[in-house]
Amino acid sequence: MDAADLFETRLLVVTGKGGVGKSTAAAALALAGTRSGRRTCLVEVEGRQTMSRLFQTEPWDFTERQFRPGLHGLSIDPEASLVEYLDMFYGAKRISKLVVGSTAVEFATTAAPGIKDVLLIGKVKELERRRKADGRFAFDLIVVDAPPTGRIVKFLRAPEATTELVNVGPIRSQAQSLADMLLDPARTHLQLVTLLEEMPVTETVESAGALRDLGCTVGPLLVNRVLPERFDDLGRKALTDDLEPPDLRKVLGKAGLEVDVDAATALRELGLAHLSQVDLQRQMREELAANLDLPTIELPYVYAEHFLDPEIRVLADVLEARTTGSKGR
Amino acid sequence: MSKKRSTDVLAAARTRGLKDTVATAHVIVCTGSGGVGKTTTAAALAIAAARLGRSTIVLTIDPARRLAQSLGLRSLDNTPRPVKGVEGLDAMMLDMKRTFDEVIDRNAADSQRAERIKDNRFYVQLSDSLAGTQEYMAMEKLHQLHTDGLYDCIVIDTPPTRNALDFLDAPKRMTDFLEGRFLRLFMAPGMVAGKLAGRAAGFGAGLFMKAASRITGAGVLGDLAEFFQSFEGMYDGFKTRAQAVYALLQSPESAFVVVASPETSALREARYFLQRLASEGMPTAGLVVNRVTTSAEDALGDHPPQELLAVATHLDEGDSEQRAVAELLRLAVDAGEAVNREQRTIASSLHGVDPRALIEVPLLSGDVTDVEGLERLARYLLTA
Repeated sequence: MDAADLFETRLLVVTGKGGVGKSTAAAALALAGTRSGRRTCLVEVEGRQTMSRLFQTEPWDFTERQFRPGLHGLSIDPEASLVEYLDMFYGAKRISKLVVGSTAVEFATTAAPGIKDVLLIGKVKELERRRKADGRFAFDLIVVDAPPTGRIVKFLRAPEATTELVNVGPIRSQAQSLADMLLDPARTHLQLVTLLEEMPVTETVESAGALRDLGCTVGPLLVNRVLPERFDDLGRKALTDDLEPPDLRKVLGKAGLEVDVDAATALRELGLAHLSQVDLQRQMREELAANLDLPTIELPYVYAEHFLDPEIRVLADVLEARTTGSKGR
Repeated sequence: MSKKRSTDVLAAARTRGLKDTVATAHVIVCTGSGGVGKTTTAAALAIAAARLGRSTIVLTIDPARRLAQSLGLRSLDNTPRPVKGVEGLDAMMLDMKRTFDEVIDRNAADSQRAERIKDNRFYVQLSDSLAGTQEYMAMEKLHQLHTDGLYDCIVIDTPPTRNALDFLDAPKRMTDFLEGRFLRLFMAPGMVAGKLAGRAAGFGAGLFMKAASRITGAGVLGDLAEFFQSFEGMYDGFKTRAQAVYALLQSPESAFVVVASPETSALREARYFLQRLASEGMPTAGLVVNRVTTSAEDALGDHPPQELLAVATHLDEGDSEQRAVAELLRLAVDAGEAVNREQRTIASSLHGVDPRALIEVPLLSGDVTDVEGLERLARYLLTA
């Protein structure tokens, strides 16, 4: 596998440890996919309205909307999925009416384990299989902003768990077809997002193992919020060996900037803290390389008070460059 | 609330730490969205309490085993384990399945019934995937630790829920579910015999059951009904304990510490949680914002960024040492901007709420992975 193979499958399920920027990475993936000419659908499954906030649109619901040329979005919830499922398979309007706001949803979300996830994934499969009138698939790329790594295995295992509980009947065949989709390397890639920090790296390595044990195919690793290295080797050496606060003051003074010892000390410490962050990043990069056989795509640190469209675009630029350029790193 | 007053509230909150909380609270609940350093914060507070000579336990529910890492332990199971290097501190990781087993064993009418429940094919699935089970089990464990009375201080790290509020809602959801008409449907006689259609009378239940069994396949609902019925006699206990824990969390013996990072989404969640705690009458000890950017800007405050950048451009023409200094100046300017942005984000996200104590923990170089790092963090948390 190669980093350029990012869009090799039509379904990308994006996950990562909480706080690593999984949703923004998913949004950037969808945007990069759209730019490459793919009719793209971005799917939210946890009903948090993260995406509508990121893209500053009206709140999303169960009906997909085109909010950018070629880019569609929807927010799946289990209740709407259940109603659609009943309508589709039974044409049962009467049942749907009974279901909405009734105990059946309690049943789906509380009593029957995993059914909720099966319903969510069921809707994803409907999008993945949907065809246009001319017979081609309706979407060339579907990006799912999935639950975080702490819950992803349970989420993906839900269809299989259901087949273990339910021996016969339409639920079983539905669940089986979902498991087939998720485990097919030609149809679905799991997309892990991480940071170059100790705990996210550890959790990413563990999750990649658990996902592979499950039979899933893990796509190129997205490394988010990578700090640029500001000092080359000479600069680093100067900072650590030669630029004690008095030296720093002298250099600044010669350039016309008078600072006191406290300021020089604070400035130097800022530089040293940056070096130690960079060192940690390097160490984590090595750790990933040693424990995870995956191509990686690094995304730059982009700070914004509200992580909106322009910032996602910066990330999409990087992804686009990595996937449309020549193959290889 | 006026902007001025809101700023004053935050300024006052910044002067308070969590020292009193770790010295006096019997239960400390750390909550917040995922990835903000909740587990690490819980561990640091627990160490601080233990250092004061209080017998302390820290309980984590996180399946990613982060606390284990923070404490340098390989794994934690459902038993309290002493933390190496900290006198009087135990750590424990909640094992969902085992806690559920223990609840069944303790509360079933007899061991035969307990075994019957644990043998049911729904049980294994249910015991770790039922919505809200993690939160509910955390409550059960908290109740047990509290009634056992072995610890002066119990610090708990809430599950990585989709929404931090789930933790507060778990007891109520459990009791709602137990009282719900859905469950009563299953408790109706006749269900176990597998004669689903038309038997459970009233409120369209027959139609619902018919539909449900068409979807799940025959037999499944019967098994599920048997499963729920085997719990009979235990429901009141579930309910009583859930209510007891809720009351404990509302009492002045408890303290909630909300944890966030300086990002908008995490702060927004923290804000909701602070408001919710206030409306539920639950005691808030403070808000911890982890990983706040620090800068040399204060020290360089006399010089505007434009001046620093002009000097940097000039130094770029020099030797490697001068170029390094130029880069340092740009680093300082960028860090200064980041600090300003973060402070604006914090102020605007918290507008109108009173976190009581507001502790901003600077981005420590490197992750906190050992007791020493936790002690360093604890010092920040206590002294504001």
